[in-house]
Amino acid sequence: MMTALFTLLSAVFSLPYRLLLAVAVSVRSRVQAPKMPANEDAKYYRDDPAWGDVEPLPQDDGGLHPLASIAYTDEYSEAMGYLRAVMADSEHSERVLELTEHIISMNPAHYTVWLYRAKTLREIKADLGREIEWLNPTALQHLKNYQIWHHRQTIIDALGSPDGEADFIATMLEQDSKNYHVWSYRQWLVQRFSLFDKEDELTWTESMIEDDVRNNSAWNHRWFLVVGGHSGHLESEHVVKRELEYAKYAIRKAPQNQSPWNYLKGAVRAAGLPSSSLKDFALEFADMRRPDDIYSSHALDLLADIYAEEEGNKEEAKKALELLATRFDPIRAHYWNYRKGLLEVPETAA
Amino acid sequence: MAPGLTREAEERRLNYAAHIRYWRRNLKTFLPHQYTGNDCNRMTLAAFIISALDILGDLPAALSQEEREGYIDWVYRCQLPGGGFRPAPATDLGPLRNPENQIWDPFHVAGTFFALLILVNLGDDLEKVKRREILQWLTKLQRSDGGFGETVGENDRVEGGNDSRFGFMAAAVRWMLRGNLEGPVDGVPDIDVDAFVRCVQVAETYDGGLSEAPYHEAHGGFTSCAISALYFLDRLPRKQTDGRPRGLRNMPMTLHWLASRQTLTLDEEDAADTYSDETDSAATCHDSHSFMKLHNFPSSRGKLSFQNQPPVHAELKWVGMNGRENKIGDTCYAYWVCAPLKLLEHLHIIDPKPIRRWLLDRTQHLVGGFGKLPGDHPDPQHSFLGLMVLSMFGEAGLQNVDTALCITEKAKKHLESLPWRRKLLGLDDKGEA
Repeated sequence: MMTALFTLLSAVFSLPYRLLLAVAVSVRSRVQAPKMPANEDAKYYRDDPAWGDVEPLPQDDGGLHPLASIAYTDEYSEAMGYLRAVMADSEHSERVLELTEHIISMNPAHYTVWLYRAKTLREIKADLGREIEWLNPTALQHLKNYQIWHHRQTIIDALGSPDGEADFIATMLEQDSKNYHVWSYRQWLVQRFSLFDKEDELTWTESMIEDDVRNNSAWNHRWFLVVGGHSGHLESEHVVKRELEYAKYAIRKAPQNQSPWNYLKGAVRAAGLPSSSLKDFALEFADMRRPDDIYSSHALDLLADIYAEEEGNKEEAKKALELLATRFDPIRAHYWNYRKGLLEVPETAA
Repeated sequence: MAPGLTREAEERRLNYAAHIRYWRRNLKTFLPHQYTGNDCNRMTLAAFIISALDILGDLPAALSQEEREGYIDWVYRCQLPGGGFRPAPATDLGPLRNPENQIWDPFHVAGTFFALLILVNLGDDLEKVKRREILQWLTKLQRSDGGFGETVGENDRVEGGNDSRFGFMAAAVRWMLRGNLEGPVDGVPDIDVDAFVRCVQVAETYDGGLSEAPYHEAHGGFTSCAISALYFLDRLPRKQTDGRPRGLRNMPMTLHWLASRQTLTLDEEDAADTYSDETDSAATCHDSHSFMKLHNFPSSRGKLSFQNQPPVHAELKWVGMNGRENKIGDTCYAYWVCAPLKLLEHLHIIDPKPIRRWLLDRTQHLVGGFGKLPGDHPDPQHSFLGLMVLSMFGEAGLQNVDTALCITEKAKKHLESLPWRRKLLGLDDKGEA
């Protein structure tokens, strides 16, 4: 809020930004006290006898014309000075863990501070269980941070057990059920601990899709388990049938949801079946003889593909694409017209 | 007044003055302390700032000669003794740096990529860049599976993720410093281009996009970075095969996926109206606000049109772009989706007009710049990528840009004119290649 306000003030009244910054900083300490760590909570090392032996290395910002300078807080500048001194001296100790924790709380995207922390944990043979306990709330504070997950992988890999991780992931997904880092991490867990065919994993994925049938991350995770875990193939007729039925069931719940349509088409390809095997199903949602009863643009899209492959049915394919362009999906009219244009082009040997 | 004219008059324009003010402020004053989380991305922010002013045509006016030289000097101060650039002064160990502790102030691929972009933008000749050392580093940054990391750590371990962002930056740096040449150049070995192409191919997803790693979810950012990397490496699909592995095994599916990124879900309200209602009718589906209304389009709306003006359907006025299936539109994905379409020479499969209107009417900010979502405050990344897209769409008054490098065509020409580069590529004898 405050940033916006004073960016706006600066823009509207052409006030010097630095002046406003100074005003804002003084105002902010009062107005934003609940969000910002209050000054009395700030940690300074110069007052701490435990750090008395370390000479901090201040930042050389690079001459008279630095680019993208940041108005660091004193707390951050000081802590970074101690971090550089510690790194220069290759110190690995309990107090270094505290220092890196402090820096991470202010700048979780500092890429070498994480590597340095991981090395320190190894060097002092720290309790890795405690590290995970610290990481949990830290990850919740920085939902979009990438380095945290890389670090977590390193720790869990060293611990050699996925115990407790499913619960933690559930907590993370409650905040954002499509968080890319969290799903990537889950995939790493499945791979690291060979959980592909564990019944729980598929059941959990299904529950995520039940919660939100449009969660594409959950659909992708299912694909990862069922196909990715088996070298890119659907392993048996039973699995093919199960996957096709599952996708169809989800489509019937919400026919205009592209996630299960993509899944269905992918499963048919992975099973080596022709797309025409989906024709009757697609017609349930998009019978072109009754254009007022079309329930899914994705069904029309699929039908256009199926008709295009059929002998002498290009006109039907064109009709489906025209319906998409003019009525059911006009935001992609250029794309549907492009597809229509492709139907005119004589097939070249592919 | 005819309705068409009213619409024109109401339409928001690119507010040049505000954008220039926004970017000059980013250039010349401190970023507020809330940017502390970007302390190690300063080179990236700096490249956005300099390049944005260049796209706006303001760079010559914004900088004095002394400032230009000062900024070039700052970038060179971030060059590491062993070659490559740190992404910010934050990791500089200064006089205490030694062979033992230098792994904490390492070669950084983003630092290097964006440093080179800034130098090119500011008209430097890159003569002081340790070019051979950088090219050596790139080979160390490549993992055995062909992908690239962010940095090289202890015992030459490649650190950071293994996704196409790093491959994109590595490929761009390679192109800047040695063009399209494959194999050893000037005694410096090449990266394994074939292995990288295979790494891209295995990240293709069942729905046609590209992901972070095999079987991960398709994502606009990774799709764009992978396709840009293939472009720099001259490994995009071609009609005629030449025996070299080329990326993208199923172009029609990739185009389908990219076209599917256009969305009418533009703010949280659009997305929220169907949550916890998963019953089985089209009326309760995601995008139902578009689907059901479009169901009546154009028949009822058509009656309202007169003077042969095609009716602008309210929902078609603004079209956003998202980065994944069933996600909300977001300014930066306009770039991450349009850039690959342009590099694949298929930008015509989308209609730029409603996307342009969405950027100008909904995510452009009063003080200049663009926010991520409507109503969001501007930030350098979204503000820069918004400008990139408008320039790619041919917005009047903006300089032409190079889609993949994210600098103006003028700046790219400067790079291509540098004598050392022309000599390396053997262009001086043969003239323009």
